Amino acid sequence: MKKEILRFSGVKYTYHTVRGETVAVEDLSFSVRESEFVAIIGPSGCGKTTLLSLAAGLLVPSEGEVTSRGSFGYMLQKDHLFPWRTIEKNIRLPLEVKRQNTPEHRERAVNLAKKYGLGEFLQSYPSQLSGGMRQRAALIRTLATDPDILLLDEPFSALDYQTRLNVTEDVSEIIRSEGKTVLLITHDISEAISLADRVLVLSGRPARIAYEHELDFEGVTNPLKRREMNNFSGWFEILWKELNA
Amino acid sequence: MKNEKKNCSEEHLLFLKKRRRKLILIWSLRVGILALILGLWELSTSLGWADAFLVSSPSRIARTIGSLYTEGTLFYHIGTTLWETLVGFVIAVALGYGIALALWWSETVRKVLEPYIVVLNALPKIALGPLIIIWFGTGSPAILFMTVLVGLIVAIMHMLSAFIATDKNKLLLLKSMGAGKVQILTKLVIPSSLPSFISMLKVNVGMAWIGSIMGEYIVSRAGLGYLIVYGGQVFKLDLVMASTFLLCVLAAGMYFLVVLLEKVLVKNAES
Ligand SMILES: Nc1ncnc2c1ncn2[C@@H]1O[C@H](COP(=O)(O)OP(=O)(O)OP(=O)(O)O)[C@@H](O)[C@H]1O
Ligand SMILES: [Mg+2]
Repeated sequence: MKKEILRFSGVKYTYHTVRGETVAVEDLSFSVRESEFVAIIGPSGCGKTTLLSLAAGLLVPSEGEVTSRGSFGYMLQKDHLFPWRTIEKNIRLPLEVKRQNTPEHRERAVNLAKKYGLGEFLQSYPSQLSGGMRQRAALIRTLATDPDILLLDEPFSALDYQTRLNVTEDVSEIIRSEGKTVLLITHDISEAISLADRVLVLSGRPARIAYEHELDFEGVTNPLKRREMNNFSGWFEILWKELNA
Repeated sequence: MKNEKKNCSEEHLLFLKKRRRKLILIWSLRVGILALILGLWELSTSLGWADAFLVSSPSRIARTIGSLYTEGTLFYHIGTTLWETLVGFVIAVALGYGIALALWWSETVRKVLEPYIVVLNALPKIALGPLIIIWFGTGSPAILFMTVLVGLIVAIMHMLSAFIATDKNKLLLLKSMGAGKVQILTKLVIPSSLPSFISMLKVNVGMAWIGSIMGEYIVSRAGLGYLIVYGGQVFKLDLVMASTFLLCVLAAGMYFLVVLLEKVLVKNAES
């Protein structure tokens, strides 16, 4: 069994505003192992984004504890590429921020981009790329600093269905071949099933773990292949029921 | 967008041709309207339909400018006003940008100063005329002060609202990379507010001229604003019109420079 890389123990988080307080997350406990792909699904507004911010250390829990070993890469719903930077300079952004902007690191990032089909777009501006390409560039940017844990907040939901299937396919391949640990948030049950090793189902707000499933696809990790397998629809039904319970 | 003339379709050639025709049309109409106005103006005064003493005329304006030139005072007056305007503009823009940055940096300071800025913005600056004369005398410093005052608040408010409007998710993204406040400022806030900076410059070109001319109205003994006031007092409408005309040219020139700057700065930030 692989080592634990991220752990939530009894975590609570409360937002305070003038109009009152919102408990977004309460008594939340789970852990993620190295190189594991964990998907989290939950009703909208239940506290999923809050969970990721807690994991990344952008928010500090009101109660409980978040412990992690390793660095994070955060990817959001939209690509948020900076329009005034070329793709290459966008990909380099986290290196600049983390003061790792050395020739070796830059080369690593550029090679990643080339390896995953962005080579000819390095000098283009984001506006010249399609939505799918941009999202791919955003992933490469996330990978540029070689983070141990990827936190993905509905990274495909802004794409149209066709593009989404393709990008999901690409991203899955990239992430698996780079051997990253992933915490993926999604609204889309079939996306969760087609990508993850394990699925956590959250309750309504405040979010807790309502159900947890280890998915068994006989070692198949390719999203499209999984979609064609027999147990896919079985999992879909189970998760659908739990999500709407 | 690339401008490849070589291998493009018939349709595209036609499109380019139409576009050029339209551009030519627009420019000839622009020039035409100006010529028409000047022509009618000149004609109506020379035929006696209008009193040239009251409305002046293009030829009289030209002659007035010519005589200012031969007296040797033309460039003195232009230079005075231009200097006051440009220096005031630069100070207002730079200071306004700096103050806006400081206000962005500290929310507390921003909240504290907000009512002061709102009041200063609403205050008609000309009301401060007497104070300015007493504090700065009747020379260029007083006019500079007025120019800065008029542009400063606008620059602060314009830039501050642009800084604050920075995309929340891009901020989150940078923070998730571990960016500190200085990095957030240099990598995101300042570049993403570039379009607002340009529009602030454009607005402030106008503000600077308002400030300097207003200043000259109240205090000065030189400059185009002074010539206008003086011309009005001694009923030399030719002088008033000539100075106004020169102002138009200078203001347009300065605006054009800002547009040029925009072309240079925004070249890459296509989105
Ligand atoms: N900055 C904030 N201040 C106050 N309340 C907040 C803040 N951010 C989120 N909330 C509240 O906390 C709750 C959980 O928000 P969160 O964004 O984590 O949910 P989510 O599951 O990601 O939602 P969605 O499905 O829409 O992405 C929501 O009710 C939201 O209104
Ligand atoms: Mg969310």
